[in-house]
Amino acid sequence: MATPAANAAPSVSPSLSLPPSQFARLQPHAYLLAHLSPPPASNQPSIRANGRAPSQFRVTSANAGSLTHTNGSAVVRIGDTTAVCGVRAEILHTDDIASWSVSSSSTSNSNKRRRLGEKTTDEDEGQDENEEDRAHIEDLNLLVPNLSLSTGCAPGFTPGAPPSALAQSLSHQILSLLHSTRLIRADDLRIWYQPPNLGSEALERHNESQQMEIDAGQGSEESDPQEIKAFWVLYIDVMIISLAGNPFDAAWAAVLAALRDTKLPKAWWDIDNETIICSDDISEASRLSLRGLPVASSFCVFEADAAAGWRAVVIPDVNDQKAQNQRKKGPQQKWILADPDGYEEGLSQERATLVVDKAKNGKNVILKMEKHGGWSVDTEDLRQLVEISGQRWDEMKRILDQC
Amino acid sequence: MMADRRRVNGPSGGTRPAVFASLAESGTGVSERAQRQRQPSELRKIFLKTGLIPTASGSSYLEFEPSASLAAARINPKSLIPPSSALKLACTVHGPKPLPRSAAFSPNLVLTTHVKYAPFAARKRRGHIRDASERDLGVHLETALRGAIIAERWPKSGLDITITILEAEDDRWWADAPDSHDASWGMMNVLAGCITAASAAIADAHIDCLDLVAGGVAALVSDEEKQSSAAPKLMLDADPAEHRSIVSACVVAYMPARDEITELWLKGDSSKASLENGDKRSVHEALLDGAVDAARGAHTVLAEAVRESLLKTVG
Repeated sequence: MATPAANAAPSVSPSLSLPPSQFARLQPHAYLLAHLSPPPASNQPSIRANGRAPSQFRVTSANAGSLTHTNGSAVVRIGDTTAVCGVRAEILHTDDIASWSVSSSSTSNSNKRRRLGEKTTDEDEGQDENEEDRAHIEDLNLLVPNLSLSTGCAPGFTPGAPPSALAQSLSHQILSLLHSTRLIRADDLRIWYQPPNLGSEALERHNESQQMEIDAGQGSEESDPQEIKAFWVLYIDVMIISLAGNPFDAAWAAVLAALRDTKLPKAWWDIDNETIICSDDISEASRLSLRGLPVASSFCVFEADAAAGWRAVVIPDVNDQKAQNQRKKGPQQKWILADPDGYEEGLSQERATLVVDKAKNGKNVILKMEKHGGWSVDTEDLRQLVEISGQRWDEMKRILDQC
Repeated sequence: MMADRRRVNGPSGGTRPAVFASLAESGTGVSERAQRQRQPSELRKIFLKTGLIPTASGSSYLEFEPSASLAAARINPKSLIPPSSALKLACTVHGPKPLPRSAAFSPNLVLTTHVKYAPFAARKRRGHIRDASERDLGVHLETALRGAIIAERWPKSGLDITITILEAEDDRWWADAPDSHDASWGMMNVLAGCITAASAAIADAHIDCLDLVAGGVAALVSDEEKQSSAAPKLMLDADPAEHRSIVSACVVAYMPARDEITELWLKGDSSKASLENGDKRSVHEALLDGAVDAARGAHTVLAEAVRESLLKTVG
């Protein structure tokens, strides 16, 4: 609270007898506007009420693996927004999948092929693998993210009530992002079973057919048909402990950090008990091999006069598209604020969320782009936002690598 | 059961928790029960910090020191099964705020308490909807706090206290089979933590109280193979994972300045048990005294945390 007070003093105090914190509450829009567009005479830089530059994110910290009863966990703090994520893995037996018998026969062959292929060319993933990952992870609901806001994180959410619209929307956004980024490999979630040898003749015959299908050079231990006996289901629960704006970035970062921390025990099909048995030995457990590192960055747009654009449409005498554009492009009518806090979120309609990853050559890869609530962000602005998100990616990678 | 359409549901067929080989083939001696390293009257260290959640009027975060075995397992992990667990919870206070228009007139502050376990808080995955034990904890917590808050200073107002438990205490050692004198002992430690944390959060919200109310637990434990062979021992702040069986346990919410107990919860059959030689007190009295001693210990931490939060707001 000290920073806005210090910043506000020179710009607004002469005309007001109210302290800046009161003014911020009574006239939030004018307060933020005064910070972002200081009078030219004052020679001050345009700065947000919270003391950040428009494209500056809040201080972020992450800590992984502190919760005992999880396979992977993380706490991420972005400013005053705190998200705790715990990943719990449970087992889904194929016997419990109603539609399994139909699909298993068709997939077991190609599964096999892909498993072998992966060993030779790890980077070059085929189309059929994508299709299969999608089929298993999405159709069988192997990823179960849920976000809870009923933790007393902000005054508006009643604890004990069913999830609010915001919580439902955030859970769904996390789910769809997990699916669309293909972050988790279905192969990490499969539990295989290799039936014992059925005698040399059957084995030989099988070897031949297998050799024709795949390129040679694989060991004979791969020759038996393996079958999937079960899947790991990852319950990804995010508790927003403290909400001060921009919950999605914090929640996603927590999910990402927790998944990077997740260890799945070695599991096998126990034929005697007809169940899956796991080893609790930590040296046998394996981490998930995630695809890339998608980092989310959210922005909100603060407009000096939010009604200006609408007025131009509603009032018919401003037909000239160019004149309207000219007005929109006028000097500093809008500010795109990175990582908005709760105060700024309340003052803006238009939001943009970008999820970017970086390819090996350092180029930004856009995995998701979402923009809604207004029309003042144009292509040029979005291009700039991708750049900012790319810088944010570097920062987040450093933070996540440290935790 | 109807699927909850407001949440992301897992596979419709349901999933099963992992079964570990070391548990299935018992007697391999892979792991041993954690031993209590503390003196009988020594409490675990408590980490308590207030004001971590700026959007709430008051907040606190409480964490128990991990037991020696858990700390060792963290530093040098061998098994995926944690030997014990340490309480971690966050508490927020919202209010005092006006009651909704529809609410009946109340001359006092209306206290609402919610205690919720995170789905990943315990060994067994918890549901998203509060179950009976969570509601029970909420009621116990409300009783404990109601006696401490000076409620008549806020007529027509409400105070919401929400506790999220990120990691709960175990009810027993993980490899022990649940048996007849087995109850949810972990809940009692959780309640004591909830009381202490809520008290700090209320002080952080500047709500007038008679005194800082602190929670304490004492338990009669027997580590012997046979039940009747030896008298059970009185342990303060007993971690159920460290003992073979708990005969009886007691939680109090205690205000040292007034020497007053606002909440008392005694569980287990202690009528047959007798204390070690020389102790003339009845078992109930001994348990109660032990719990009060534990609460006094927690109170020193609580007072320190509140002093810190006060210095932060003043300075």
